[in-house]
Amino acid sequence: MAMRTKRYALAIDAKKCIDCKACVVACRAENGVPLGKSRNWINEELRGDWPKLMEVFEPEQCHHCEAPACVRVCPTGASYQRADGVVAVNPSECVGCRYCMIACPYDARFFREDLGVVEKCDLCAHRLDRGELPACVETCPSKVRIFGDLNDPTSEIHQILEKRQYRLKKREAGTGPQIYYLL
Amino acid sequence: MKTIEWQYLIVSYLFLGGLSAGLYFVSALTELFRKDDDSAQEHIARLGALLASWPVMLGCTLLVFDLGHWYRAYKLFLHFRWESPMSIGSWLLMLFICISLIYAYGWTSRDGREHFFGRLPRRLRFLGILNVDVAPWRRPLAIAGLPVSVGVAIYTGVLLGAVQSRPFWNTNLVAQLFLFSALSSGCALLILVLAMRSRKFEMYQFRSLYLLDVCFLTLEFFIVVPYFIHGELSVEAVRESLKLVLGGPFTMVFWVFLMGLGLVLPWAIEVREVVPLFLTHVQLLPRMGVATPSPAGASVSVVSELSALAPPANKLHFSRGWAVAAALLVLVGGVLVRYIFVFAGQMSAIR
Repeated sequence: MAMRTKRYALAIDAKKCIDCKACVVACRAENGVPLGKSRNWINEELRGDWPKLMEVFEPEQCHHCEAPACVRVCPTGASYQRADGVVAVNPSECVGCRYCMIACPYDARFFREDLGVVEKCDLCAHRLDRGELPACVETCPSKVRIFGDLNDPTSEIHQILEKRQYRLKKREAGTGPQIYYLL
Repeated sequence: MKTIEWQYLIVSYLFLGGLSAGLYFVSALTELFRKDDDSAQEHIARLGALLASWPVMLGCTLLVFDLGHWYRAYKLFLHFRWESPMSIGSWLLMLFICISLIYAYGWTSRDGREHFFGRLPRRLRFLGILNVDVAPWRRPLAIAGLPVSVGVAIYTGVLLGAVQSRPFWNTNLVAQLFLFSALSSGCALLILVLAMRSRKFEMYQFRSLYLLDVCFLTLEFFIVVPYFIHGELSVEAVRESLKLVLGGPFTMVFWVFLMGLGLVLPWAIEVREVVPLFLTHVQLLPRMGVATPSPAGASVSVVSELSALAPPANKLHFSRGWAVAAALLVLVGGVLVRYIFVFAGQMSAIR
């Protein structure tokens, strides 16, 4: 990992998720996401055979990869990575070619037809800059989401990742995802 | 949220861009290697040069209208990002369009130019300074444009292949497949137009085009074969993605329409046309400007020495009908390659 003073990341304790979708609603309200599109979502999976069934919920959004494919393929530099690791889109530079959407292994981006630009989760960068938490983290009633600076040894996320095992999704894509799913 | 973002506009552009690159490539190659007095070869080079610019310009227009904001397309040219195949591609396209337009201008006739510039309205008369003869620059332009045309033909495949997240694309073979498919489409369009319009020449005089096209189609075939072998021996995500054409939604269109009708059938037709050339020991490029084959039973004349070099007409097929059929099939195949790869690629994913 490149040396950064800050490295924001998200740990997700999916076992606590109750699929209330408060994070999705909070994000929609905070970022003005139109209906039918979403910056974050909850994967549902039914495991096992009847009658021993288990429903698994797993929140997902942009993984804010360390080597983001979307940033690499962007022809204008509209997709960029901030110094703190957050991957964002500068809508005034976006031409709407949607190459980044195709390059994203997590399908975490969507196209705003009304604006002609691509949008995605930016971990509520405007809130981070004010020292606040991302809307989805703040609103989660069952404390599924742990947000913080990986480079800060006193942060909750740093400490929890030291103690607990975690899984990264689609590591083989080679983009260095930064959403840590706690096991 | 998985969506198919690139659709028919992109498919059309990929085909048209490749077609232009192929036309330029074949024209430039013919121009560089033709004998000075070979009027049939000159005809091929001229036709290719005059046609090459148009499909790519139409394709670029489609591309621009596929963007979220068509009027923001200029932003692509405010940046150069060597990591982004699309950025490299847009600059390559600009360069190619410029070179191909100048090259085409080099093939315009003096009379045509005089006629055009003579009829300009008074206010546009100053454009007369553009009435220059670029013909002496044809060969340097052909040499300069060859790598650019290959770049335009191959970058579309690189564009798709450079994405780790789509296992159907993520191999260098897609770039090569697109390259040879593009060059073959260029050949095919030339064969098509020549077969339909150039009554001055016999079809066997365009045999260099057939030979080139047979080479390109053969290469295409031997790219598809390793694509599958390599894919089946690769990681699970790739094997999974190949199911799209091996028992998935694209199986029929891939094997019957693309491989069968778009590749093997035109290949067979063209091989059938070309094989007699080798069997009758005819030189591939005649040393002298032979314009017509000796009509059967014609009396020996001054040109007998020349016509001796021409193949006996009755031993060659070279029918215009078959030429048109093969060319159309190759062009349809060119569209289908892009259709299948654009759609299937976006449907594939790492699980």
